Amino acid sequence: MPRLDVALDLRLLVRVLRNPQQLQDLSPREFSRAIDAAEQSRLLGWLLAHADAGQVSPECPQWLNDRVTTARARAREYERSIRWEIDRLNRAFLGVGFRWVLLKGAAYVAAALPPGRGRRVADIDVLVPQEHLVKAETALREHGWEFAELDAYDARYYREWMHELPPMVHSERRSVIDLHHAILPQSSRLHPSSARLLERSIPISDDVRVLCPAHMVLHAAAHLFHDGEIAGAIRDVVDLDGLLRCFGNDPEFWSDFVREARALQLTRPAYYAVRYADRLLATPVRSDVVSETSAWGPVSPVRWLMDALVEKTVHGRGTPAAALALYIRSHWLRMPPFLLLRHLLRKSVRRS
Amino acid sequence: MSPATRSILSLLGTRGVQVAIGPFLVHVRSELTGVRDYLERFYDDFPMAEGGEGHFDLAVVAGRGMRRWVRPQASIVINGARPFLPLPALLAGASMEWGMNWCVGRSAHHWVAVHAAVVERGGRVLILPAPPGSGKSTLCAALVCAGWRLFSDEFALIDPDSGRVLPIPRPISLKEASIEVIRRRDPQVVFGPEAHDTEGSRFVHMRPPSDSVRRADESARPGWVIVPRFMAGKPTTLERLPKAQALMQVTDQSFNYNYLGPKGYTCLAELVRETDCYRLEYSDLDEVLALLARVTAS
Repeated sequence: MPRLDVALDLRLLVRVLRNPQQLQDLSPREFSRAIDAAEQSRLLGWLLAHADAGQVSPECPQWLNDRVTTARARAREYERSIRWEIDRLNRAFLGVGFRWVLLKGAAYVAAALPPGRGRRVADIDVLVPQEHLVKAETALREHGWEFAELDAYDARYYREWMHELPPMVHSERRSVIDLHHAILPQSSRLHPSSARLLERSIPISDDVRVLCPAHMVLHAAAHLFHDGEIAGAIRDVVDLDGLLRCFGNDPEFWSDFVREARALQLTRPAYYAVRYADRLLATPVRSDVVSETSAWGPVSPVRWLMDALVEKTVHGRGTPAAALALYIRSHWLRMPPFLLLRHLLRKSVRRS
Repeated sequence: MSPATRSILSLLGTRGVQVAIGPFLVHVRSELTGVRDYLERFYDDFPMAEGGEGHFDLAVVAGRGMRRWVRPQASIVINGARPFLPLPALLAGASMEWGMNWCVGRSAHHWVAVHAAVVERGGRVLILPAPPGSGKSTLCAALVCAGWRLFSDEFALIDPDSGRVLPIPRPISLKEASIEVIRRRDPQVVFGPEAHDTEGSRFVHMRPPSDSVRRADESARPGWVIVPRFMAGKPTTLERLPKAQALMQVTDQSFNYNYLGPKGYTCLAELVRETDCYRLEYSDLDEVLALLARVTAS
């Protein structure tokens, strides 16, 4: 008997991401499949925002109408709950006397940026000055967040080589906070200055701050191409696209972006961001910025390889080998080879 | 079972079957015989059609590779996600039921859903909200055997716009000693195969009454909210529950009122305002049935 096809339709999702107008031509069944793929890729908020723009047909069947109502309620609840956690965090940090800055998903929600719409945020990432890390940790402990149990290896992995403390989980609400003192690992070859990030951060309300636009985009790029796994990274590319479209209208932004990429040693991720946002989602980038950043790319063979790997992986067509190559690459960038070998061995022993 | 249903069910392992369960259309697919057995045994009164869409897309698939033959497994895939670890293939049919519970509890935010046993008589709905282990399903099965119409042993679904309760009659899940208790009360009741669930409890599913299934589109107004608690060896007691406490109980047992925002909260506040609310402790089913008949008659 042939096996049932139960896979998500990621191709369909990429198709509508590239061309949101296509949403209105989808059959009810396809639209439903798009909801499934968007939800699993954490892009439900994106899909609903574009469907809200009048792109769901009025003769939609009752079951699909119910699904969309449910999806809207879910997206609203994601956002509401993250806003509440930011409020609790603000309370925990009241009067601590140092600057703290929200990063990534929580920042997009707090600053009401496009990638924050209906966003499901798993971990709240917060950047604090390294010299105040202990103080920040104490404040969180006093307000109910505690470290999950770690074995000695994991504890050492975090403390010695990483740019963040192990995740802290709230004892009642189960919300997770990652305290960072840098945006890339200590063991990485790149060391963007946290002082500069904190210094130029902008206030949203009370003591809640987010990175300035140029830094926010550079961090998203560094995260996508240097830090995490590229596999399943459609959402991260959509984030970059959303941020660039939102900030890109301001002429100041692009000059800032180029200057700060140099200042933070993030020219390579800046190059990749410009290259792949344009290639994958046709994000508009100013032509002088494209030519200026093109000098920051790798040598051609590496570039060809990256092009092929990224497009395959982001489109969900990635072979396990492509995903593995990118996983090793992202680790290569954040650890010296000897450490990397040890880490990968350790992980492979544990997975089996 | 009609030949038409039989021919629709033959598509289960390919295009799938669309089953109308209360206010939901569920697209079910499975290559495992356990799922087909469940549908044949419990669902032949339900409207069924060929085809591939609905509120929920639920597939129960066989394990891969060795797992097809050696200690075979069943995995539930719901709208492309796998929220559970694979189960032994013997539990394939039951896992479809658990998968549907997961769907209704988690993905029906157009209604307010409360964890409760729900039955109806004379146009008024009796809602029994309680956490697992309170004897909710047993009481529900006993009430159904005594002639109440089954809405659900798991969910009170409330339309936030009208305040009406929607039936979602499905097989009732009974555990351990309750299985024999209900079997003794009504020898006509049809049960599925007995098995052990992932927590090691002996369980069985009970076929919902045909009349309840045929009337699955008839909603009704809520009449009573009674919070039940089974206490072995204790005498039956029923006391008024202050409305504020009743509201705490139903919000506590609600899966999703927060997802509907102020509308969800208002809906539950209206529910307790409009109903008579009680707290019930019981151990003897005959006593409690007589008591509930008296209270709900007035």
